[in-house]
Amino acid sequence: MKVSKKRNIVLTVVLFVAAQVAVFAQKVVRHDLYVRDTIVNYAGKAKRAIAVNGQIPMPTLTFTEGDTAEIVVHNKLKEGTSLHWHGIFLPNKEDGVPHLTQEPIKPNSTYTYRFPIIQHGTHWYHSHSGLQEQIGMYGSLILNKRADDKTFRKGIDDLPTIPVIISEWTNYNPDNIQRMLHTGNDWAAIKKGATQSYVEAIKEGKFATKITNEWKRQLAMDVSDVYYDKILLNGAHSTDLKEVDGKALKAGDKVRLRISNGGASSYFWLRYAGGKITVVANDGNDVVPVEVDRLMIAVSETYDVVVTIPNAGTAYEFMATTEDRTQSASYFVGSGIKQLISPLPRLKYFEGMKMMNDMMKMDGNLNDMGMNMSLNQMDMNVVMYSEITGDGKKKEDHGKHSGMDHGKMKMDEDPNRYNANALGDIVTLNYAMLESPHDTELPKSAPVRDLKFTLTGNMSRYVWSMDNKILSETDKIPVKKGEVLRITIYNNSMMRHPIHLHGFDFRLLNGKGAKAPLKNVVDIMPMETDNIEFLANEEGDWFFHCHILYHMMAGMNRVFAVDDYKNPYLPDKAKAYKELQHESNMTHFMAQNDFATNGNDGQAMFQNARWQLGSEWRLGYNDMHGYEVETHLGRFFGKMQWFMPFVGFDYRYRRMGEDGHEKNIFGQANKKDSRKGVSLGFMYTLPMLVNFQAEVYHDGIVRLQMMREDIPISRRIRGDFMVNSDLEYMAGLNYIITKNMAFRTHYDSDMGFGVGLSLNY
Amino acid sequence: MKSISLIGMVSLVLLTNITIHAQIKNAKTATVKVFGNTPAAKMVIEGEGKSGKTARVAWDRQTNMATITYDASKTNTDEILKRIALAGYDNEKFLAPDDVYAQLPKGDQYVRSLKPKPESQTMTVIPQDGHRSIPSPDHSAHQPVAETAAGKETQLTNLVNQYFALKDALVKTDASAAAEKAALLQEAIKAVDMNKLASAEHTVWMKVMNNLATDAAAIAKGKDITKQRLGFASLSTKLYELAKVSSFGSPVYYQHCPMFNDGKGANWLSKEKAVKNPFYGSQMITCGSTVETLN
Repeated sequence: MKVSKKRNIVLTVVLFVAAQVAVFAQKVVRHDLYVRDTIVNYAGKAKRAIAVNGQIPMPTLTFTEGDTAEIVVHNKLKEGTSLHWHGIFLPNKEDGVPHLTQEPIKPNSTYTYRFPIIQHGTHWYHSHSGLQEQIGMYGSLILNKRADDKTFRKGIDDLPTIPVIISEWTNYNPDNIQRMLHTGNDWAAIKKGATQSYVEAIKEGKFATKITNEWKRQLAMDVSDVYYDKILLNGAHSTDLKEVDGKALKAGDKVRLRISNGGASSYFWLRYAGGKITVVANDGNDVVPVEVDRLMIAVSETYDVVVTIPNAGTAYEFMATTEDRTQSASYFVGSGIKQLISPLPRLKYFEGMKMMNDMMKMDGNLNDMGMNMSLNQMDMNVVMYSEITGDGKKKEDHGKHSGMDHGKMKMDEDPNRYNANALGDIVTLNYAMLESPHDTELPKSAPVRDLKFTLTGNMSRYVWSMDNKILSETDKIPVKKGEVLRITIYNNSMMRHPIHLHGFDFRLLNGKGAKAPLKNVVDIMPMETDNIEFLANEEGDWFFHCHILYHMMAGMNRVFAVDDYKNPYLPDKAKAYKELQHESNMTHFMAQNDFATNGNDGQAMFQNARWQLGSEWRLGYNDMHGYEVETHLGRFFGKMQWFMPFVGFDYRYRRMGEDGHEKNIFGQANKKDSRKGVSLGFMYTLPMLVNFQAEVYHDGIVRLQMMREDIPISRRIRGDFMVNSDLEYMAGLNYIITKNMAFRTHYDSDMGFGVGLSLNY
Repeated sequence: MKSISLIGMVSLVLLTNITIHAQIKNAKTATVKVFGNTPAAKMVIEGEGKSGKTARVAWDRQTNMATITYDASKTNTDEILKRIALAGYDNEKFLAPDDVYAQLPKGDQYVRSLKPKPESQTMTVIPQDGHRSIPSPDHSAHQPVAETAAGKETQLTNLVNQYFALKDALVKTDASAAAEKAALLQEAIKAVDMNKLASAEHTVWMKVMNNLATDAAAIAKGKDITKQRLGFASLSTKLYELAKVSSFGSPVYYQHCPMFNDGKGANWLSKEKAVKNPFYGSQMITCGSTVETLN
């Protein structure tokens, strides 16, 4: 016993010394990062942002494989922060996820991240705390190959190179954006011109499409949910790239752009006015070079691309355009007159809506019609891309076509328009085209475990989940160190999701066999299924989540717990995990009141992913009109959240007139002027998005109600109506003025006609 | 007193308004060359350049000089010139996107003297034949069938090539081109000398020959792309039978569209593994899957 203990100590000492020697043999590269609140003006208004070392984006950190990174964070904010090293292999305690791998870095404290650099490639880093990533905390993280690296590629790794990090800017406070997403505020759609209202539908001859869409209980479809005011490349809207590392660029030069998508929720099209784009690496891993005309970079992915300057005296535009095509930012590569690239044409939203209708079953599940979609190869959104599928303005002139609903041929007899590049003549990158230059196979001896995740969620309440469970409803997934996890991910939701794994690269099984590309983010479009696998050989708690910030904050996360990792920074891991769960299922508040000539109508609501506590009121200006408050506490069930049982508390006072009785359609009379009631009931969303509500009160009185809000009549006009079994009814119209204000007119059976101003928060 | 100041204020407000309408505040003027040569060009250049109360452009068709007056606190010449270039007109600062220039009416297209002459072939040249497909390793192996085919296979090679041309026309949803290609296919069918076919081929050929000819004739006569596609679906199943027993010199992919014809689905043959759906064309260009690879 004694002997063995002694031997242990000796061993430890030897190990310790060895480790020290190893550390000294490496070059320690230290960066100090000062995180401060700041005020910026990117889009016409002075707004709060976070700057690191006085800059947005955060400084580019460059290391060489074999270095030891030492990054000292000085938190000068009034809130906690953290930094996550996206795509980096490191000890779990350095991974930078607050409450999972460390405590948040407290205000006015200093925190050191230290880890050896054991890989190369284009990566990035960002805050993993709250929504800080949206307001400035993102930066490039470049890991260079050693000069003697066997994988060094002449003609690629020795090109003039610049890091480019893409980001979006919004003048809105991101907390407010998050809240608005959860409360169904469609101001972003108005700003983007993507309301897809009935009037617009009729104008485009898509009335039936709109009806079908609402029949299937869907809201207007869009490719993104947040409206941004500006797109930035390395913090600027437009940049001239005339030289790299002090050397002027000239005709024939190739330039390598190391591009990271640091946007919180936007995908970007990348295009170049000077010819083809050669993709040479993805997510920090080399790929066999592939030439394309354009590519889409998913949220948090990185791509290394090479572009050529074809001619002297000209600067060629390299443009990043948001997937919704409302915003873009550019680099002009070369010097001289600027060769522009044409902006991407507007999306044909109703074509997209139609496509979604066809794919959506009545129960809210998606039906891929046996197409086995994967790897972004079949981009259903292509129906909305007029540069591929025509401009959609041409009216049908053939009467009835065979084929299904979506078989309508818009391009018929229009050979001149887009003849040359229509129909897929331009090459768009997809995952099936990525191939690793070397074998990436995992050890055959390792035990394999299969996992399957279905991506789920709904737009109306903005709840995003895996297997219909948000993080706060699940435990960590235990994994044995040394196991191979083979994961199948199916997207059964109507939005695409960039799924990111911390701490590892996974093989994306894309048909390239042994040369499957290594990635750490996989973008999965609706109805797609992708397979990934990785060897879980590093212990710790690794986050696995959708990298759209607002989806992550809504709970679309899991944790792989590889072995029982003792994290020195987190003594009480169970408590910390509760904290993490709590932060990904925050309660949101909304309120609204119509100050009208005939009374005040309004509501206030607290809600999280599953629960809703809401109060509705109708306050007249006199006793005849009455005063009425209904409060419901309910829980949503099902993936689509169409069903919500609730308990209710009602209070109302109304002085009856001479014929002072009110009977409902069941003949039940309610004689009291003042009435308090407790009820049990449920709400169910019917086709056409009509909310059906049934409740029975403690005194046996039954009430049924049908209500529809936010009928998108035109871009800014919303209609609503309500009718119930007490023979009360109401119909109204709102004209939306700003995101918090609408002009409202309505008729109410109790209170009569009124006009007013409706404010919402 | 009070009323006087009120009057003063009102008149001041009025005055300011008038000045705003009359001229641009903080006005700066620049003269820049903008290329173009027609009255339509003048409309577009001045229309695109103008921006509310912050910018105005006067363009001289003879000299090609544009006089830009702008509010220097609100905008700059680059913003204005960029808008003009995006509408198709080159100027000293910006070159119009090539596709926008190409879409100008023929008469409005001017000589693009500012544009450098291509020095290398890496410039994007949009191919006119539409034959380029997504580069993939399989693609590098793809060679024109005619080159690799030899001897007796020549009998079917021409036929198969015409079939692929017809398929490409349908991918483009081009009914008249499809009719044209189908006519060529008809010829190719007639030209096959069945006595020179291998015996397995011969057997199948006897079986499918008439159907192939009928379908091709129907497509050749057709003007309605939908009917042509129905014919093509039938034609493809027949040709597939032939492909199973024959070799066309390079791999052929049998591909499937699950949606065509009210969800009954339809198949086609392709030289390329990458899916380009001839039944929906642009609507669902990459929709479908390869169900069998024939070598």
